Amino acid sequence: MPQPGWAVFSFEGIGTSWEISTPGPLDTGQRRRLLDVVENYDAAWSRFRTDSLVAQAAREAGRYEMPDGAGELGRLYRSLYRLSAGAMTPLIGGSLEQLGYDADYSLRSRGTPVPAPQWDDVLDWQDSVLTTTAPVVLDVGAAGKGQLADLLAAELRSLGISEHFIDASGDLLNSGPVPVAVGLEHPYDPGRAIGTISLGAGALCASAANRRAWGDGLHHVLDGITGTPVRTVVATWALAANAMTADALATALFFVSGKVLEQDFEFSWLTVFSDGSAAYSAGFEGVLFE
Amino acid sequence: MSFPVRKSVFVGLAGMSLIGTVAACAPSAQAPAAQSTAASTGSATGSAPMASTGASTAAASGYKDGTYSADGNYVSPNGTETVGVELTLSGGTVSDVNITQHPSNPNTRKFQGEFAGGIKAQIVGKNLDELNVSKVAGSSLTSGGFNEAVQKIKAEAQ
Repeated sequence: MPQPGWAVFSFEGIGTSWEISTPGPLDTGQRRRLLDVVENYDAAWSRFRTDSLVAQAAREAGRYEMPDGAGELGRLYRSLYRLSAGAMTPLIGGSLEQLGYDADYSLRSRGTPVPAPQWDDVLDWQDSVLTTTAPVVLDVGAAGKGQLADLLAAELRSLGISEHFIDASGDLLNSGPVPVAVGLEHPYDPGRAIGTISLGAGALCASAANRRAWGDGLHHVLDGITGTPVRTVVATWALAANAMTADALATALFFVSGKVLEQDFEFSWLTVFSDGSAAYSAGFEGVLFE
Repeated sequence: MSFPVRKSVFVGLAGMSLIGTVAACAPSAQAPAAQSTAASTGSATGSAPMASTGASTAAASGYKDGTYSADGNYVSPNGTETVGVELTLSGGTVSDVNITQHPSNPNTRKFQGEFAGGIKAQIVGKNLDELNVSKVAGSSLTSGGFNEAVQKIKAEAQ
């Protein structure tokens, strides 16, 4: 609980656990509204259910009208696709499936890694409309959880609950104004932290290669150029004004240095490498334990 | 702390073989050199000749005081990397050891040398229950379906 005495609403959504903390308890109607936001997002973007728009796009080429917010998600992905020279792409779903991270959670590799298709070969993403020229497996996992946190925060504000804290299994969004003390989870030991930071109004999202790992050298952060798991960076954190941006940048840090991303995004970053060293921007100064 | 030159060169390079492996920042790796094996972490070689960049008095050991540097190679998941080892000798013993990475692999180089806020050589972990935090930013909590699948595979593998 981020603040003493706050109430917590916990639920499962888009394949992960959520905790929404508010100064007072949410009533049934308010909870229903929040769960509807989650369901609508899942119905559009989940590649783990057969009735989603993304599942339809995996079956056949066509024109897909995505929900509100898809435009900004697409623009964010497009910038990161450019900055990572194609490595970070929403078309990574097929590569993930090939390595066994599929709707059935088979977690068994189907063979050699397959690269993601080139964006401009198969996908035209204009605001909330996606037009595809071939069946494609979209996976917006790098930014989707963050965007859903932003959408839930917007719903809370529309319900008149301006003060809230959203914990999407370790991706955090604080409405402010009161800062919350946050530990940065050790990449190899969830019982430990490598530092602490005070999170004011804004989002702090993390990504780690060791989680969701299911085999030798196989984890869920894939390079869209080769379709193989990224090496060298093992954990990242990004602080930004909204959770969608922080979430996406935490993944982008696996492909592009924070210094380069800083030229296009206003954010703070911390990257931990496989040799145990770390690099960080000024926003993470003094955060790591000595 | 002082120790014989030959041994310190070995220790320095053995430590280097850990760079690029996950063991180096595992919380249990308090003595990484002792836990490493050449087979699992790649080998380190110190075959490059030592270049003296300064010398003063001859010591009893036969080594002149000064600063010496050499390069070593190791195999990381990125491929072969090169590290620099710099030793300072005083009175025949090593008074300082500096390790510098200058990776030859472009994928590693991409992540080095472009630091805005700062760098830290080694992260340090502390137990969460010793810390005054109410939230944790991380990604250990994964989905139920994913975790179930992993448990299933583990059970089948037994």
